[in-house]
Amino acid sequence: MKKKLAMLLIFTVAISMLAACGSKSTDNKGTAEGVTAIEFWTANNPPQQAYWESLAKEYETVNPKIKINVSPMKETPSSEANIQSAIAGGSAPTLSENISRGFAAQLTNSKALVPLNTMAGWDDIVAGRNMTNTIESWKFSDDNQYVLPISSNAMLFGWRLDILKELGYNEPPKTYSEMLDVAKKLKVKYPDKYVWAKADLADPAAWKRWFDFFMLYNAASDGNKFIEGGKFVADDKAGIATLGLMDNLRKEKSLLAENITDPFETGVGIFTDIGPWTLNYWAEKFPELKYNETYTLAAPPVPDDVKVDHPKTFADTKGIVIYASAPKEKQEAAMEFMKWVYSDAKHDLQWFEKTNMPPARDDLSTNDVFKAFLDENPALKKYAEAVPYAVPPMDNAKFNELQTFIGQEAVNPVVRGQIDPTTGWNNMKKAIEEALK
Amino acid sequence: METKNNNKLGWLFASPYLIYGFVFFLGPLIWSLYLAFTNWDLIAPNYDFVGFSNFIKAFKNPAVQSSFWVTYKFMMVFVPLVTAASLAVAMIVQGLPKLKSVFLIGFFLPYLSSGVVSSLIVKGLLSYNSPVNAFLRDTFGIKINWLGTPFTALMIVALIIAWKFAGYYALILTSGLESIDKEVYEAAAIDGVSRRQRFWTITLPLLYPAIYTTLILSFGVTFGIFTEVYQLTGGGPNYATNTWQMEIYNQAFKNLQAGYASAIAILAAIVTFISIFVIKKLLEMWGKRNGWV
Repeated sequence: MKKKLAMLLIFTVAISMLAACGSKSTDNKGTAEGVTAIEFWTANNPPQQAYWESLAKEYETVNPKIKINVSPMKETPSSEANIQSAIAGGSAPTLSENISRGFAAQLTNSKALVPLNTMAGWDDIVAGRNMTNTIESWKFSDDNQYVLPISSNAMLFGWRLDILKELGYNEPPKTYSEMLDVAKKLKVKYPDKYVWAKADLADPAAWKRWFDFFMLYNAASDGNKFIEGGKFVADDKAGIATLGLMDNLRKEKSLLAENITDPFETGVGIFTDIGPWTLNYWAEKFPELKYNETYTLAAPPVPDDVKVDHPKTFADTKGIVIYASAPKEKQEAAMEFMKWVYSDAKHDLQWFEKTNMPPARDDLSTNDVFKAFLDENPALKKYAEAVPYAVPPMDNAKFNELQTFIGQEAVNPVVRGQIDPTTGWNNMKKAIEEALK
Repeated sequence: METKNNNKLGWLFASPYLIYGFVFFLGPLIWSLYLAFTNWDLIAPNYDFVGFSNFIKAFKNPAVQSSFWVTYKFMMVFVPLVTAASLAVAMIVQGLPKLKSVFLIGFFLPYLSSGVVSSLIVKGLLSYNSPVNAFLRDTFGIKINWLGTPFTALMIVALIIAWKFAGYYALILTSGLESIDKEVYEAAAIDGVSRRQRFWTITLPLLYPAIYTTLILSFGVTFGIFTEVYQLTGGGPNYATNTWQMEIYNQAFKNLQAGYASAIAILAAIVTFISIFVIKKLLEMWGKRNGWV
């Protein structure tokens, strides 16, 4: 009896081990019968997933030798964390989209990505999509291109036009002093309203600086870089001016940096950052918001002494990367797919229609392919016109830590009134330079 | 001879869990110890050995320093709160004539709820334009930035976790109350002992083993706080709620400094073990001094 029990246990363990071994064999079905299968991870949202699935199917009819397995990335706790664990675990896909330039810098630092400009077909993609100018600002400090831009969401600020008109303005402020004038008048008429109501201003999370500090800094500095090649190269004057704006708004009691729900939509705040993806959300949740009636879109305001026709802004750019861990033939197949996708502007139009996110190309506002769609969507046209003036995020592997310092040492304490802008800037600068050593 | 064979069989039956423990606990622990001396970034195939620089950096980091103190702050708030709440629940339920199980299960349910969900609900409740805050502003002119103020942020997180664990600990205390001999209370009643005196001189002393358990558990909880902090405050404001787990997460998965995060994790483990050991000894001394053990 004892021996039988022992044998049963051993048998059970053996079966379990065999099952574990068996599951690995499915990983070797990458290439079979002359067909190269590539794994494509998309963003975890229905429009983008649907877009890529339809293109993949269409492409497979054109080129039966390449099969594209499209699947959404998990986003718990974050898509970046899932990609990291996939790479570390040896199960990275061939390519994935929705990769920010900052995250790509982290991956590049670990040699996880293929430099796309070294791949055959790269020049064809750039020329075919007419993004020679756009792609320049995507170049990494080592002069390689690791991310193929999909969309360039030039962030704009929204203004409650209905409230501005009540205050006597027909268009949004363009300079800091004009903005402060609005703040003064707003407080007189509506003591409970704020120019800028945003919880994230008090949050040190790194990515949130893209949608407050960097939008303003890029405008104030006319696109001066913040970090370049591992060195802090920011424009001190522009940076302090940016913090100064926040501080002055706080002094006018026109800045609310608290946990608040939909402040712009409910009219508590009349100024906020808006990405093109917000328009779909508003269409469902806040249909009363009408472009050029209830709200308008504008480039970031600039300091009074900054004279530019088109202020720069932050580009919330996402792109496609190819993973170095993928076999060479799969990498080449991925490039073939990308070349096909971006050889036809209609594919970008399809993207624009499905996601509302402007394709990253030089001719977006001039190409006839997009004219009809843009005419029907004047708000999106505003974003399209801003694409050439959008600055992508920094490409430093430590971007997360560095941008956290911007919040912790500068933006957060300034909006709380704990320190003055100059002190905040210097503290931030010191922390960043220390981290870059 | 038969005894020896039984031992072998025992080890054989225990082997699945032993293997599980070695693979998923001992292995990662050793790997973490090793990583703490490297600069691995979770992805790169290569990394450098950096000696003790990760530990030195951790000691100098204000965020890590705040983790150390924040844990004890949470302890001072959370432990009394959850102990009082769970004891109150246990006493109330124990005094019910009927449906004790139903109420106990009801109080236990928060323990099963997702920390993420409860955190998001609280975040909505504390929003600037929530009914609660609108009422306070309009009626009393009170403006409180609940999650943006260090003190209130800490209190809110502690309250959520206390709400979550009170019912669970109440179960333990209820079983402790059940084990108290009813004759002791009857004898006390005959002697004219008041209800309040009965609580302090009979219930509490005899409940000591159960209270000891819940106290140790609640002290341990404060070293593992993450979900509520992550969802509500992100460790802020000004590191006021930055716990060990939050800092480890930030360094490992946001900054991709796995080696550095491992060093912080080891420091956290050391602090945790020392703290729990000291607290355990203090509780035992307290019990002995009062003659409860």
